[in-house]
Amino acid sequence: MRAETRRRWAIAGLTGPAYLWLTLTIFLPLSAMLWFSFQKKGPFGRHEAEFTLKHYEAFFTKAYMQDLTWRSLEMGLQVTVICLVLGFPAAYVLAKRIRGRWREALFLLVVLPFWSNALVRIFSWTVVLRPGGVLDGAVQFVFPGAPAIDLADSWNAVIIGLVHSYLPYMILTCYLSLQALDDSLIEAARSLGASAATILWRIVLPLAIPGIAAGAVLIFVPVIGSFFEPKLLGGTQGVVIGTVIEEQFTVVSNWPLGGALSFILLAIVLLILAVSYPFLKDRMRTA
Amino acid sequence: MAQPWEGEGMSRHLLPRIADGMGRIFLALILVFLYVPIAVLALMGFNESVHYALPFEFSTKWYEALAGNERLLTASFNSVWIALANTVVATTIGTMAAFALGRFRFRGRTVMQLLLFPPITIPWLIIGTAMLVFFFWTGIGRGLHSLLLGHIALSLPYVIIVVGARMASFGPELEEAAASLGATPLQAFWRISLPVLMPGIIAAALFAFAVSFDQFVISYFLAAPGTSVLPVEIFSAIRKGFTPEVNAISTLVIFVSMGIMLAFARLSKFGGER
Amino acid sequence: MSVVEARHVTKRYGEVRALDDVSLVFPEGNFFALLGPSGSGKTTLLRAVAGFVEPEAGEILLDGQDIAHTPVHRRNIGMVFQNYALFPHMSVFDNIAFGLSVRGVSRAEARERVHRMLDLVRLPGMEERKPRQLSGGQQQRVALARAMVTEPKVLLLDEPLGALDKRLRQEMQIELKQIQRAVGITAIFVTHDQEEALTLSDHIAIINDGRLVQVGAPHDIYENPGSVFAAGFLGDANILRGRVENGAVAVDGVGPVTPRSALPGQGSPAVVAVRPEKVRILAEPSGQACNRVAGRVIQGVFSGTSVTYIVETAAGVQRAFRQNAGERIHGAGEGVVLEWSPEHTVVVEE
Repeated sequence: MRAETRRRWAIAGLTGPAYLWLTLTIFLPLSAMLWFSFQKKGPFGRHEAEFTLKHYEAFFTKAYMQDLTWRSLEMGLQVTVICLVLGFPAAYVLAKRIRGRWREALFLLVVLPFWSNALVRIFSWTVVLRPGGVLDGAVQFVFPGAPAIDLADSWNAVIIGLVHSYLPYMILTCYLSLQALDDSLIEAARSLGASAATILWRIVLPLAIPGIAAGAVLIFVPVIGSFFEPKLLGGTQGVVIGTVIEEQFTVVSNWPLGGALSFILLAIVLLILAVSYPFLKDRMRTA
Repeated sequence: MAQPWEGEGMSRHLLPRIADGMGRIFLALILVFLYVPIAVLALMGFNESVHYALPFEFSTKWYEALAGNERLLTASFNSVWIALANTVVATTIGTMAAFALGRFRFRGRTVMQLLLFPPITIPWLIIGTAMLVFFFWTGIGRGLHSLLLGHIALSLPYVIIVVGARMASFGPELEEAAASLGATPLQAFWRISLPVLMPGIIAAALFAFAVSFDQFVISYFLAAPGTSVLPVEIFSAIRKGFTPEVNAISTLVIFVSMGIMLAFARLSKFGGER
Repeated sequence: MSVVEARHVTKRYGEVRALDDVSLVFPEGNFFALLGPSGSGKTTLLRAVAGFVEPEAGEILLDGQDIAHTPVHRRNIGMVFQNYALFPHMSVFDNIAFGLSVRGVSRAEARERVHRMLDLVRLPGMEERKPRQLSGGQQQRVALARAMVTEPKVLLLDEPLGALDKRLRQEMQIELKQIQRAVGITAIFVTHDQEEALTLSDHIAIINDGRLVQVGAPHDIYENPGSVFAAGFLGDANILRGRVENGAVAVDGVGPVTPRSALPGQGSPAVVAVRPEKVRILAEPSGQACNRVAGRVIQGVFSGTSVTYIVETAAGVQRAFRQNAGERIHGAGEGVVLEWSPEHTVVVEE
C-alpha cells in the first residue's frame, strides 16, 4: 500500500513539530514537576533522588494550607456567581433585545477587554481603588463628607478585579447559548399562555445551561489558580493558595512543595473538569 | 417592538417597554464597569501629578519619560521580538498540525485533539512553574529563549483550533479536485489549501501574537533577572510603587492588544468568504 | 479516447465490503452510468478509477495499463464533483486554467484553451467572475470546463447534477450529453437517479451492496431486467411469485402466468416482473389469450398526462399505468381486470 505509507509520513511530518513542541514544553514539564513533588529536594546541585511524601503531607497536616485552598475555592465561587448574576442578564439583553449591527458592535465591545492584557486591567483597578483614587474622589464629589472609601488591599478589591477580568467570558458563553435559542420557542411558550417569569424559568434558563456551565467552569478554574490578581489588589488580604505556590518558586525556593501544591490544585481542577465535561464538550465545538 | 407579555390594558404595552429599557440600561452599566477603569488608567497617564492628584492637568510628560526609559524600551523591544518570533513559529507548525488533523482520519487523532485542551485549561500558574522546574533541571534555564519556548507552546493550541475551524469549513474536495487536475499534493497545498485557509491563518497569527504579547504569568517565571518583557516590567513597577509612567506604557500595551484582537475578530467573523 | 477497465476490484472499509470483486469495461467514447442506491459502492468504484480510493485487490486499467496504485495527479483524468469543488479564491479563468498551469502550459495557450472551453460550455465572457457570483448551473458548467480543458483520457462525474433543481437538471442533462458527444471523451458518471441514468448514458451498470447487479444499454436493461432488484431500481415493476408448472408460473390465487423466456425446471420457484405501462386495465376480461389477474382499485393516481392505478389483487398490490387518452377513470373500490402479454413478462432472479 504505497499510498497508505505516503499518508502516514505526511501525518507524522505535519503533526510532529507541533506535538513534539507541546510534549517538550508542557507535558514533560508537568511530568517533571510531578516527579519533583515526590522528591526531598528540588533540582539544585547534585544529590541522590530521594522519594518522599512530605510535601503532600504538609498540605494535609498544616491547617493554614487547607484554609488558603478553601479561600481560593471561595474566591472562585464568589467570582463565578457574581459573573453569572451580572453576565447572564447582559447576555440575554444582547442576544434577544438588541438587533442588527448594534448587537454585533456591542458584543465585540464586551469581549474586547477580555482579550486584552489581563495584568494591565488589574493595574487599572489599583489606580481606581487606591485611597484618594478616582472612585474615592468621585464619591466625595457626589456626596461631600461621605466616609472615605478605601478598597485598596482588600478582599473586595480582589473580587472586583477578578469579576472585571472574567465577566466577558460569562457573557460570551451565555450569549452563544442564547443566540442559538430559537425565538419561536419563546413565542410558542407565550402563545400557550406562559408568563414572562415562566418562560425565563422553564424555557430560556434550561436551554442556556450549557452556556452557563461552560462559562462557570472557564471562570472558576483560572480564578482558583490566580495569583497576581490577589497579590496586586489584595495585599495582605490577598493570600491564597495561588500566591503560596508562586512564592515557593520565586521567594522561598521550595520547588517540591510548590509542585505538590500545584498538583493538589490541579487535582481539584481536574475533578471540576471531569464533572463538567459533558457540558464543555458541546460548547467547545460551537465556540 | 412592544410584545404582548402579560397583564391587561396599559401595562400590556408599557411593561415590556420598561423591561426593555431597563435591560439596555443594565447592559450600558456593564460596559461602564468594563471600560471605566481602562479609561481612568489611560487618562491618568496624561495627568501632570505623580501622585495621581486631581484636578486633572493635561501633560504628555510621562510619555516623554518613556522615551528615555532604557529598561522599558528594552523590554518593549523584547516583547515585540518574542511575539513576532512566536507568531511565525506557532502559526507555521500549528497550521501544519491543523491541516493534518482536519484532513486525515487516523488512529490517535482524537487523542491529539484532546491534548490541546490541557494547555488551555490548566491554570498558567501551574504550567509556568512546571516549565521553570523542567527548564532549570534540563539546563535550558531561564531567559528570553525559554520564554519563547513557553509562549509558542501556549499559542499552539489556539492556532490549531482557529485554523482547524477554518479547515472544517471546506471538505477535502478542493484538494481532490486539484489532484484530479494534475496537481501534486504539494502544489495542491500551496495553491489551493493555503490560500483558502488564509483568513483563518491570519486570525490565528494575530491571536498568537496577542497570547505572547500579553503573556505575563509564563514570562514572570521564565524571565531571567535583567532581561525582561513588558508585562513583567509593568508588574515589578506596580509592586515597587508605580508612577503615571506605568500608566503610559500600560495604555500603549492595552491599545496594541485591543487593536490586534479587533483585527482578529473581524477576520475570524467575516473571514468566511473571500 | 480511452478504454477504462476494472478487474476484480475489491475494497473493504473495516468489515463492510464497499466493492466486492467488481469487473467492468467502460468502452471508448461511451457515456457510462454507475447506478445504485446510496452506500451501494458506486461512488467507491468511481473514486477508485479517479485514484482517491486504493483497491485492496484487483486492477484498474487505463488503455491497458494498471493504474490502481498510481497517484491521482499522474492519471490524467478529469473529474466533476458533486458540489463542483470550484476553488473559491480563484476566478473562473484561473479555475479552468489550473490544470493547464500545473502542467506548465504557457499563459497564452492557456488563455486560448480556456476561451474555447468557455465557448463549449456556453459561458463566454465569464472569465473574471468568482465562483460565488455564479448560479448553480453556471458553476456546473465551469466545473465541466475545468475538468475537460486538460483533455483527460476519461471524464468522471460524481452525481454531477445532484445539486440542481429539477428543470435546470433536465436542461443540463441534454447539454452534458451533447458536450460529451462533441468531444468524444469516455465518461463515467455516478448517479442514484434512474431517470438520469436512462436519459444520459450509453451503458448502465447497476450496483448494489458492492456487487455488480447488471450491465447493459439502458433500453436493454429496462426491458430485460435480470433480477427483482434491477427491475425495481430501474423503473417500476410488478413482481409475481409462484412455481413452475407446465411451462408457466403458477401464482397463488391468480393461476398460470406465461413468461416470454425459458423457465427453470418443473416445481421450482420462479419470479416474473412486468412493467406497469405494459399492463392494460379493463372493466371486463378481453377474452384474448394473455396473462390476466382480477383485482379491485385502491386508488387511481392522476398526474395529468397519465393515471397510475394501484390495484389490490390476489397476488398482492400491483400497478397499471395508462396514458390519459380521455377514458373514464376507474374509481376506488371498482372491480377491474389487469391484462398483459407474455411477451412483456420477464423471468427474473430473486
